[in-house]
Amino acid sequence: MLVPVVSALVAGIALVALGGQAVRGARTVDVQLAPHAVHDAAVDDAFYACIGTQAHSLVRPGQAVTLGGTDLADVVTMIKGFGSWVTVADPPSGADVTLTLHDGTAGPGTCRGTTVVATTRSPDGRTVVRVGSGAQVSGQGPPPAPPL
Amino acid sequence: MSTVVATLAGICALGAAGLLPVLATVGPRWYAVPLAPLAGAVAASLAATASLTFGGALLDWFIGIAVLGAGAVFALLVVRPDLGLRADAPRRTGRAVDRVAGAAGFLVVVVACAWSLRGLQTPTVGFDARALWVMRPGWFLHSHAQLLVDLRARDLVLTQSAYPPLLSASVAVAWKITGIHTARLGVTMVAVLDACALAAAALAVVQAGRTVAVRVARAWVPLLTGIAAAALLVVVAAGSTEPFLTNGYADPLWSLAAVGAVAFGLQLRSDPSTRAAAVILVLVAGMSKNEGFVTAVALVVLVAARSVGVAGLRGARDRLVTPLVLAVCELAALAWWPVLMKAIHARGASSTFSASQDLAHRTDAVVHGLSPYLHVLVLALPLAVLGGLVLRGVRRRVEVGNDLWAWLALGTGLVAVASALVTGSGAIGPWLLSTAHRITEYPALEGWWIVGIWAVVAVAGLAAPAGPAAHDAVTVGDPAAAGVGVDTPAVDDLVGADR
Repeated sequence: MLVPVVSALVAGIALVALGGQAVRGARTVDVQLAPHAVHDAAVDDAFYACIGTQAHSLVRPGQAVTLGGTDLADVVTMIKGFGSWVTVADPPSGADVTLTLHDGTAGPGTCRGTTVVATTRSPDGRTVVRVGSGAQVSGQGPPPAPPL
Repeated sequence: MSTVVATLAGICALGAAGLLPVLATVGPRWYAVPLAPLAGAVAASLAATASLTFGGALLDWFIGIAVLGAGAVFALLVVRPDLGLRADAPRRTGRAVDRVAGAAGFLVVVVACAWSLRGLQTPTVGFDARALWVMRPGWFLHSHAQLLVDLRARDLVLTQSAYPPLLSASVAVAWKITGIHTARLGVTMVAVLDACALAAAALAVVQAGRTVAVRVARAWVPLLTGIAAAALLVVVAAGSTEPFLTNGYADPLWSLAAVGAVAFGLQLRSDPSTRAAAVILVLVAGMSKNEGFVTAVALVVLVAARSVGVAGLRGARDRLVTPLVLAVCELAALAWWPVLMKAIHARGASSTFSASQDLAHRTDAVVHGLSPYLHVLVLALPLAVLGGLVLRGVRRRVEVGNDLWAWLALGTGLVAVASALVTGSGAIGPWLLSTAHRITEYPALEGWWIVGIWAVVAVAGLAAPAGPAAHDAVTVGDPAAAGVGVDTPAVDDLVGADR
């Protein structure tokens, strides 16, 4: 007699709990479709696409690059923007180009106020600084941080 | 080419690489379908590791490994035709309801998985995904010399680039064959692989229902319960793993693969097909992330222990050798990447563990930080205790593995993650805030799978046992050839509580 009763109890509790949690789970997934989530994702995509395009305008294929600057956040932003395709130099002193980010430059031609800047040394020893081009995203400051 | 088409092409490439080995080892079962791309992802991971070890292009190694796998299958069929697909397929007769339930369960799980991926409509690329998981594929397409630089250069700062390669290698294969190198394609590839692991783990519950149905008079009750529980578990898992299920993170993949490995390797009746499924899922978990690696090593040991059982320990040579050889091969495959990272002095390959000055404080913080995500244990534990005390006879009769195996698997995964947090050198507060949700996915999901399996077992307790005629009608011929019940006498030997 005990086995059928406990069986019914265990099966009932398990299925009801699974059903309840499934309803919660479905709502959690639906949150991803909210307008603000879509907007934030679009801004994030546009920002990093802009950073990547500007870097492409500054680096020729095969050129060895080092990521300059002392701001860890900027280095991470560069890795996210163009880390997958850039040819990193090791040691850094062997790089043809040093890429850095200049933040807070509001105005056209920037990625929400950020621009990619390339520093190279010309054959005659002069330092040449160029600013990335080819893309811009309006607004100011980094895109909304996605969930960690 | 659109991202959708490119994703399909990438998944088909992985599936083609994994299809024959999966069919040869798992057999023509419904759960072989999601396992094929996952086996292809394992091939991509091995290709990336081989490429880094020996040089050569990733795609060349990927194709080579796929051809090698297919060749091994054909060689096996020639040398040992008795192990071939026909012999491995269960010849089920007289139970059309079982075949219909298998197909219906597969369709329900696929639809539930597809619906659970609706978060992909939002084109989110997660922070870690953009910084690592779908950035690193580009490195795997670089030259060998440049790949070494990418992994070693100190000014690239991110230490996580030494993480196991399965996700990035799979995305690299898709990038290479489609020519589309976008983070978005990376995210969709990872999401579909997540769905494959989720489908495999859910189909294990459908399979549990089918196994139980053999042993009871009213077969449709456990069959329907298995399908319903599987569908609900898919939705539960999607909710637990979002937003990471659809934003390119590695945590859902290793967690879901580990849950599937436990289901096939420790919860279902042990047979060659389920053991093969467990091997594939263990490799996926261990090659996806460091936490998955630690958990996978524990699962390899547990599955081997279950296969060996008391009979193996008492000296039954055939019960001892095969599981141990298989376990050693799995561990070797899993260890290849981390050993290589040490050997090349990759950034982040050195240990981050330190003898913390304040273990008590860190332990307290970890317990409080992880607890909110593990509320399922408050349900699963008493349910398992009640079931274990009253329904263990039913569980043994329907040949579902002893529940203690699943709890051991859950516990080892949880302890591994908690130990890393307690003994790590990072500031514990921010670490927990940024990772607690993700690193508890495996134990939380395992808790829900334990609940789901108990639901299937419990309905068997409501039904009268099947007569001998009903049982005989299901599987005819040599049990070993049918791939079922080969070693059921030792299923629970190690724990022994059921016997």
